[in-house]
Amino acid sequence: MSDPRAVSESDKLVAPPIVELRGIKRSFGGLQALSGVSMTLRRGEIVGLLGENGAGKSTLVKILTGVLEPDGGQIVIDGEIRRVSNPRVARELGIAATYQEPAVFPDLDVAENLFAGRQPTRRGIIDWGSMYKTAEEVFREIGVDLDPHVPLYQLGIADRQIIEIAKSLISGARVLILDEPTSVLSSREVDSLFILLNSLRERGISLVFVSHKLDEVKAITDRVVVLRDGALVAEKPTADVSVSELVQMMCGRAIGELYPSLTRVAGDTILEVKHLTRRGYFQDVSFTLRRGEILGLAGLVGAGRTELAEAIFGISQAESGTMTLDGVAYTATSPRHAVRVGIAYLPEDRLSNGLVMGMRVPFNMTMTVWGRIANRFGRFRTRVMYRQSAELAARVQLQAGRLNQLTSSLSGGNQQKVVLGKWLATEPRILILDEPTHGIDVGTKAEVLGIVAELAATGVAVIFISSELEEVRAMSTRLLVMREGSVVAEFATPVDAHVILEAASGVDAKHES
Amino acid sequence: MSAAEMISDVATSSARRSRVNAMVRRSDTALLGLIALITLVAVATLSDFRTLSNINNLLNTTALIAIVAIGEAVVILARQIDLSVGAILGICAYLVGEWSGHFSGPFGPVIGVLLALALGAGFGLGNALLVNVFKMPAIIATLATLSIYTGLQIIVNNGSQLYLTQVPKWLAGLRGNAWFGIGTFIWIAAIVLVAVSFILRRTRFGRDVYALGSNPEAAAYLGVKIRLRTFQIFALCGALAGLGGLLYTSQFGNVDATAGNGMNLTVIAAAVVGGVSLFGGAGTALSAVLGALLLGEIQNVLELTRISIFAEQTLQGAAIVIAVAVYAVVSRRLRRPVRREAFLSEHPTLNPAAIEAAGGTSNG
Amino acid sequence: MARFRQLVLSWEAGLVVLTVLVVIFGQLADHDLISSFNLQTTALNNVILLCLALGVAPVIMTGDIDLSVVGTLALSGVVMGDLMAHGMATGLAIAIGLVLALVCGLINGLLVVLFDLPALAVTLGTMGAYTGISFLILGGLAITTFPNSVVSLGSSNLTGTQVPFATVVVLAIAAIMAYLVHFTTWGKSLFAVGGSRKAALFSGIAVNRVRITTFIISGFLAGFAGLLFLGNYETAQAGMGASQLLPAITAVILGGVSAYGGTGTIPGVVLAAILLALLQSALGLHGFSGEGQTMAVGFLLIIAIGAQPLARSARDWWRRHAGVREIASAGTGESRGGSESSSGASGAEVRSTAVN
Repeated sequence: MSDPRAVSESDKLVAPPIVELRGIKRSFGGLQALSGVSMTLRRGEIVGLLGENGAGKSTLVKILTGVLEPDGGQIVIDGEIRRVSNPRVARELGIAATYQEPAVFPDLDVAENLFAGRQPTRRGIIDWGSMYKTAEEVFREIGVDLDPHVPLYQLGIADRQIIEIAKSLISGARVLILDEPTSVLSSREVDSLFILLNSLRERGISLVFVSHKLDEVKAITDRVVVLRDGALVAEKPTADVSVSELVQMMCGRAIGELYPSLTRVAGDTILEVKHLTRRGYFQDVSFTLRRGEILGLAGLVGAGRTELAEAIFGISQAESGTMTLDGVAYTATSPRHAVRVGIAYLPEDRLSNGLVMGMRVPFNMTMTVWGRIANRFGRFRTRVMYRQSAELAARVQLQAGRLNQLTSSLSGGNQQKVVLGKWLATEPRILILDEPTHGIDVGTKAEVLGIVAELAATGVAVIFISSELEEVRAMSTRLLVMREGSVVAEFATPVDAHVILEAASGVDAKHES
Repeated sequence: MSAAEMISDVATSSARRSRVNAMVRRSDTALLGLIALITLVAVATLSDFRTLSNINNLLNTTALIAIVAIGEAVVILARQIDLSVGAILGICAYLVGEWSGHFSGPFGPVIGVLLALALGAGFGLGNALLVNVFKMPAIIATLATLSIYTGLQIIVNNGSQLYLTQVPKWLAGLRGNAWFGIGTFIWIAAIVLVAVSFILRRTRFGRDVYALGSNPEAAAYLGVKIRLRTFQIFALCGALAGLGGLLYTSQFGNVDATAGNGMNLTVIAAAVVGGVSLFGGAGTALSAVLGALLLGEIQNVLELTRISIFAEQTLQGAAIVIAVAVYAVVSRRLRRPVRREAFLSEHPTLNPAAIEAAGGTSNG
Repeated sequence: MARFRQLVLSWEAGLVVLTVLVVIFGQLADHDLISSFNLQTTALNNVILLCLALGVAPVIMTGDIDLSVVGTLALSGVVMGDLMAHGMATGLAIAIGLVLALVCGLINGLLVVLFDLPALAVTLGTMGAYTGISFLILGGLAITTFPNSVVSLGSSNLTGTQVPFATVVVLAIAAIMAYLVHFTTWGKSLFAVGGSRKAALFSGIAVNRVRITTFIISGFLAGFAGLLFLGNYETAQAGMGASQLLPAITAVILGGVSAYGGTGTIPGVVLAAILLALLQSALGLHGFSGEGQTMAVGFLLIIAIGAQPLARSARDWWRRHAGVREIASAGTGESRGGSESSSGASGAEVRSTAVN
């Protein structure tokens, strides 16, 4: 490590931090997302930012990048208190972020993407030669071999990320925040990315590595910062903590009365999935689902759970493998077909995929059974619809006053109840829930989960997908863990949170440094 | 595996470099090849095709269409569309033809050209106004302006038409002239082609056009001045339509209220067939020219073989549908799904030794 | 009370008000606007545009577009005219023409839905192709003799009255379309697909089927419009009816159908067509030429599309300040959560009367 460009340890201590966050507070409506978080970012350092969903990580990132402003606290940049009021200001101050889905121009080539909006000019006209040359230089410096002439649509997501990073460097970023950069990368691509990150560190860039993948955090970061429920719970050198300690710090909350009690019914098998594969998304998935059970499906973002659910529901098709529904062979051809055989699916993205925002609640609530609401001649019997939606609203505990409203004016929790109601209307045999409590307030969360538990008690088979450890732990009668497209573990509940997390991140409890 | 090998693995994507460039050149060469093929066959089998007057006619008409198609191509590149170009051409054909009668002398042509460009640009700005300020989708906005400009065209013509005798000599004779043996129309088309290609490739404006077509949201985020660019794009398209109008007057002599009708479909077909994607972001000015050449030639052959002089619209319409379908299929094959590679890697998630070998710390 | 308020504030009410204004405007010029003769002529002149608009409206409601209707009109009109001129039985010729129109619509549907191609581009192309084929069939000729039945369909009045037969027929079609769109499940599906294609798909709605059927209907009605054209103008010519595209689209947009899909009403389209018809007539009485009227239609389209977002904000403002209670529960911070703001997704919710 005697690279002359390397930032020495003493340099790091003496030099003032680039960014200092002091007591940052931020709330939304009544919810306190961040309650006084302080953090320092220094040159030549990779800091891991950890925390469960809802712990405040993305709010913190948004504040750093100028998308949001804090309600309280200060942002200090190069020793001066600054106001980072919008993304442009953040960029000018040298703070940049890359996200899982980089915003790029697919039809333009790599060099142009690097310089988008700021192409170098010579005497008024664009200097392509200098653009290509600079691009090649930058790539060489950071140890990447990409051809700047290639149009972007030819490149996969790993390369796009590298380009995003290079773009930030070219625009003079000193702080680079990487938001879940590895969730869509293969392990080989992750290795290459880490080489790149290390070389950036050598050049004095300050990196923030936001991730759920604790093994990677352990490998690449110098320091870890753990958030929980909007507060900073720990800040330690990475070498001083073990993975299990990290897990404890992240999820140290008691379960509480949030979760309903589950009836453990051992019904007969309703769905058998064997060796289901869809290249690039999931492979060789096999499991059985029994009536009345809640099968939890845990895993990190990108593990392939949603894709698996979509393949069962008919939104996409698996390439190989078989499914048997109640003893009968089942091929998921379309959502319409899935509904007919009694499968229901609550999608992750409620706003675009779950509801038609422009229609009123009763229409959304009954959308899956419009066929039944029509009479013999196809006439839509509105009175029948209102009656049915009132019944469904009662079942999902949606207050009567909400009934004929515009769906868009409902809160997130109530909207989710409408989606749930729409699926209850089909009297499904199998209910697949994908992140059902995302973006819902606590009270409604409890109600929704209670309804799910009741459903299971009546014999409906439930597949419960969630990235929230506590939730998936508490709501499952049995738990599968997926990682990188494969089912890697199966647990009978109750099971400890850190065991789930370790299985999801792929860290063996034995291999800890 | 050594670090160097790991790095070179990342670079497998750049091995596609030669494949990509070859692909791009391939669509242009394919078009050129097709044009050459048709020309050879036509010259060999149709005696009428070979005549000087036919060739001249064909080239002149094609040049005119190509110029307007280049303007339309710029608009389509930015993921917009302009259905009013035909009407703009028609109005400018009449007005510039009439007004330039007042400017004789050596500067006549210069003023005439500038007038045509400015007038056309003005109408283009009208389109941009609707899209920018009224936030109308371009398809509906230019449908509306098509009718408005067509109405204006009729009013301006006032029931009569512009006669060749009213048109200044330099304009009337433009079609027949030749500089260094090549017709003036072709020269003008070539100049426009070179100029617009330069603009598209070498100016911020041009690159913004591509950015807007490729990903409008990212363009906005990165600070592209969308409103300004929209005005400029439609103004450019209108200006070239105006220039086309000028050439139209020269080509046909008499300009009446139907001048330019149907030109909309023709130029869109030319651009699309030539490789300008209707989704935006892909294509060049040359695409429009090649498309105009190809369609013009096919049209000519169909007329000469008496298959029908009425095949024009069918040809153009079918060409658009086919081009869109082909492009959709091809681009779906080409675009790599933005997904990670299959989990085929046999490497463990991390290889600390390799990272250390590459000069990074493995955390200590 | 709330229902009444909704009705008064609705887009359709606005159209009625505008129509009254136009009538007043027309009467000022020349008291003949409301004369039976003038109304008859106006009605006859505009049945074609209404027929086209009735077909295009559902297509736009589902979020697609169909520019090829005038091409289908020309093609089926030419085919019908040609067959009749060659002596084929009237009924058979009409049947063939209408089936052909259906096929034209089906082709559009297959290309757009099954091949997943952009509707704009495809129907732009098929517009040219269908019109072009009409040219290939008829060239520069025109057919001017037609069987009496056709002519009376297109031009004459209902026996014993002053009401043109064609108007009655088209209004009947409008009634059928209104029933289909507003009272059947298929109609509700239109709004769902237009509002959010994915949500509709995920809810088990047969999205592809819905979209293809709208194209088929659009084609069929365009063919019927061709028949009316033959009767009304007693001419069959290649490229006929091309000038009707703009007025038809204007009628649809002016009728309150959002260009982005998901909202709109058939009565609105009918009212808009009536408004357009009377406006053109009133302008004519004031001395505007045909082109002037067309230009006015163009301006009207611009105003109509500009007015929709304005109406939406006005509706939002009203809702906020008139004490209408909506829920605004506590936000849930960083999660994607609900849309607390009332302007929600598309402007679709303003058109709530449409889906009631």
